[in-house]
Amino acid sequence: MAAEQEKFRRLGFIDTTFGVSVGHNGRKRNFVLEFEVFELRGVREVDSIDSTQVDFTIEGDAAVWREMIENIHRNGEADSAHDINTLAHFGERLKVVYDNPDGHDKLYRFMESIQKFFDLSSKVEVRFN
Amino acid sequence: MSYLATRNFLEDKDFVDKWLYTIRTGELDLSWMNANTEKVKPHQANPRRGLTYRDLDLGSYGFTAVPEKVRLNRSYAPRGAELVEGLPDAQPWVSRKSEVWAFNTESYYEEAVSRQWNVTTDIPWERLDGVELPETIGKALSQLMTFLTEVEMIATDTPALWLPRINPEFVEVKAFIASQAMDEARHTEAFRKRALTTGWGLMKASPMNEMALKHLRDADSFSEMSVALHLVAEGNVLTLFRFSEYLSPTDVDKRIFRLVMQDEARHVGYGMQHFKYVLENFPEKREVVHAHLDEAENISFAGAAATELTESFIILAGGGLKRENIEEGIKITTRFNLKQMEEHFERLEKCGMPERKERSKLFQMFEMGKAAAEAAGIRLN
Amino acid sequence: MAFYADKDYTQDEAVLEAANQVMQGNLSLHWYDANTEKIKGKPADLRRGLTYRDLDIGGYGYSSIPEYVRTSQSMVARGSEKWGKLPDMGYVINRKSEIWSDNVTSLYEEDKSRRWTPAVDIPWSELDAHPLAPEMEAACAQLYTFLQECALVSLHFASQWVPVINQDFIEQKSWMCAQMLDWARLNEAFRKRALYGGAGLKRASVTVEQGLKEWLFAETFYQGSVSINLSLGGFLLVLCRHAAAFAPSRVDRALMGYAMQDTARQASYGMGQLRYFLQHRPAQLEAIQEYVDNTEHVMLALLGSPEVLEPLIIISGGGLEREQVKAGGVAVSKFIRMAAREYFERIEAAGLSRRSARSRIPAVIDRIEAPA
Repeated sequence: MAAEQEKFRRLGFIDTTFGVSVGHNGRKRNFVLEFEVFELRGVREVDSIDSTQVDFTIEGDAAVWREMIENIHRNGEADSAHDINTLAHFGERLKVVYDNPDGHDKLYRFMESIQKFFDLSSKVEVRFN
Repeated sequence: MSYLATRNFLEDKDFVDKWLYTIRTGELDLSWMNANTEKVKPHQANPRRGLTYRDLDLGSYGFTAVPEKVRLNRSYAPRGAELVEGLPDAQPWVSRKSEVWAFNTESYYEEAVSRQWNVTTDIPWERLDGVELPETIGKALSQLMTFLTEVEMIATDTPALWLPRINPEFVEVKAFIASQAMDEARHTEAFRKRALTTGWGLMKASPMNEMALKHLRDADSFSEMSVALHLVAEGNVLTLFRFSEYLSPTDVDKRIFRLVMQDEARHVGYGMQHFKYVLENFPEKREVVHAHLDEAENISFAGAAATELTESFIILAGGGLKRENIEEGIKITTRFNLKQMEEHFERLEKCGMPERKERSKLFQMFEMGKAAAEAAGIRLN
Repeated sequence: MAFYADKDYTQDEAVLEAANQVMQGNLSLHWYDANTEKIKGKPADLRRGLTYRDLDIGGYGYSSIPEYVRTSQSMVARGSEKWGKLPDMGYVINRKSEIWSDNVTSLYEEDKSRRWTPAVDIPWSELDAHPLAPEMEAACAQLYTFLQECALVSLHFASQWVPVINQDFIEQKSWMCAQMLDWARLNEAFRKRALYGGAGLKRASVTVEQGLKEWLFAETFYQGSVSINLSLGGFLLVLCRHAAAFAPSRVDRALMGYAMQDTARQASYGMGQLRYFLQHRPAQLEAIQEYVDNTEHVMLALLGSPEVLEPLIIISGGGLEREQVKAGGVAVSKFIRMAAREYFERIEAAGLSRRSARSRIPAVIDRIEAPA
């Protein structure tokens, strides 16, 4: 993200902390991502996500996350069938959970930046366990 | 003051039943698909510029096709859409093109959108850290900023007052006004922030200039408002920004004034083009505008008594309060004041009102002032 | 309506004398020791720049604005020294709770930083390279015709109230100016998209416009904000998300991506304003509930007008074939339920507790049957 600072700066402030939950065979791996101003301030893995400490959480099965990442790698960015908004729209593939609608709306206020963040995975080598 | 829709949709059984039926059966009415509207295919004239409003100036959709009197559309329907019976009246006060139009309105808007800057991040505020201006300069700067933050929002409030009153067919004009509203909020923000970073805070309000603001706000028509605001007031402020940039005590201030002057020039540009359009297409307005200018110039002249502004300008221009500073400051301020008035009449002449000089008391004041300045060895150019 | 000065100042000896004195070097310096607070604000976070929050200091700050602003009816900058005869600008909103929201300054800063330019930020040429099937393009044109109606009303709402809000609420007014530009820009984008595909604009909607006018002409700002910012903003947010998810072209996907950001900010402000209002004026709760009782029906106009419903079905299903319309109907059923659910979530979180239990909308939504 630091290498793409200019792109994120152009998109504007992103001030949100959200969770990503990846399910597999009944278990979950949970991550909290904290964005501030134009940067990703931190990522940490947690046992469970406290919904009061994050704006929203995007939950999904590992297969869906993998499909998204592979799509990004193939195309350089998510196509319209595999972006966060589409996958999470009806909550059937990815699901957005939240305590507070204010927090939920932050996903959309910063959508372009959040999507661009996930699209950055095209620039890194990815392996799936 | 409220309005009630012609039906309560929750109680309209036919509406609800039709809605549920459509979803359940998929039997679509589709009459909208054959709307009685033109089919056009715009092209990007310049792909580097992207798709502009000018590219959409085609057929009945274009601004060129808008007639002088808009008789058919008084609703919220976008220009060129199929109008049907039952659309509400948006209550527009202004449905005459010559009341609002200006050549290049759509381009001023596109320019505004592409040239938005951000006071928060585009001004290098951190460079003020450790900067301690001498007390006289710091206070004078704060007073100038206080005046500017006080007056800028009039150019938001006043056009915003008119925006909902303008017929929706003039979409480009509304868009321009919206961009101006944001420009002026940004200017207010820039000057307030600068005043509050000097160490002196805000200073004194300017009652004589407040009177001018009231006059700008309470115009009888959009054209009168625009001539007084865009042409007279913003024209004066544009000259002020140019001089202020020249006088700026820090590079941060220079940057502020360079950025605000870009926006202001755009507003003045619209004002000039609008005024030309009015005089060419609504010639009956000439005398009305003259009468409005009589008052606008009267109040503009009253600004001479706004010594909180003049004195702060003199101090900034001369660099301090010593005798020699004040003498130098007066020379520069005199040139500035005369320049403002000269450019005011130049603009009016370029717009098609050269006779303004003959009936304007302000012009008489300008001539006297210019003569007195020249006698004192101060040349305008 | 015109305002006239109290005299001819070009003949006023006092004005001429004041000007002459100054230009002869006899400065009064009456402003030099202004009776105001001396502060030197600085950015708390250099990455973020100098925000309005950084200047929320002492008497200059927005936190110190009282509920009732009685001492200022002119355009004098908040915190500067008032003196002399100041005119009355005719502000009719002078109570903080009527317009304020705790997130207004951060939304304003966010708005400024997240600008976009429809002319160049949308890949318009993609429609030349990959034109849509005629029925899809017609559906898009109708949807974008409707969206222009919404954009214009939203623009009018902000614009009509800005000039009558007391100047002491400068941050609030600035946010509303940002909203004005947002809606002008969205209107521009919707119009450009509607026309670029070649199908022309379609039909203006009587039911939509009648409903929107009712919301626009609310008697007070705080009522209108519930309707335009929270209800309409929230509805358009879900609609933009839906249109993005089913976008038939990269142009639509890009446009709706930006639009969802702008509409989400609007909905956030709407929630924040209602919350602030009810926290400070709890006695108004029932009055607001009653206002919503009477005006909530407009939501149905938005969800149910054929000019909105039918193009959404076509776009969601991908066309006019029987199976496509059926799929579109299923998707739109879900969209309607989601829009309704989120509307109640927002309005209840803002303080209109148990709104969904009181509202007549759920009963209508429950009657929706997706296509078999």
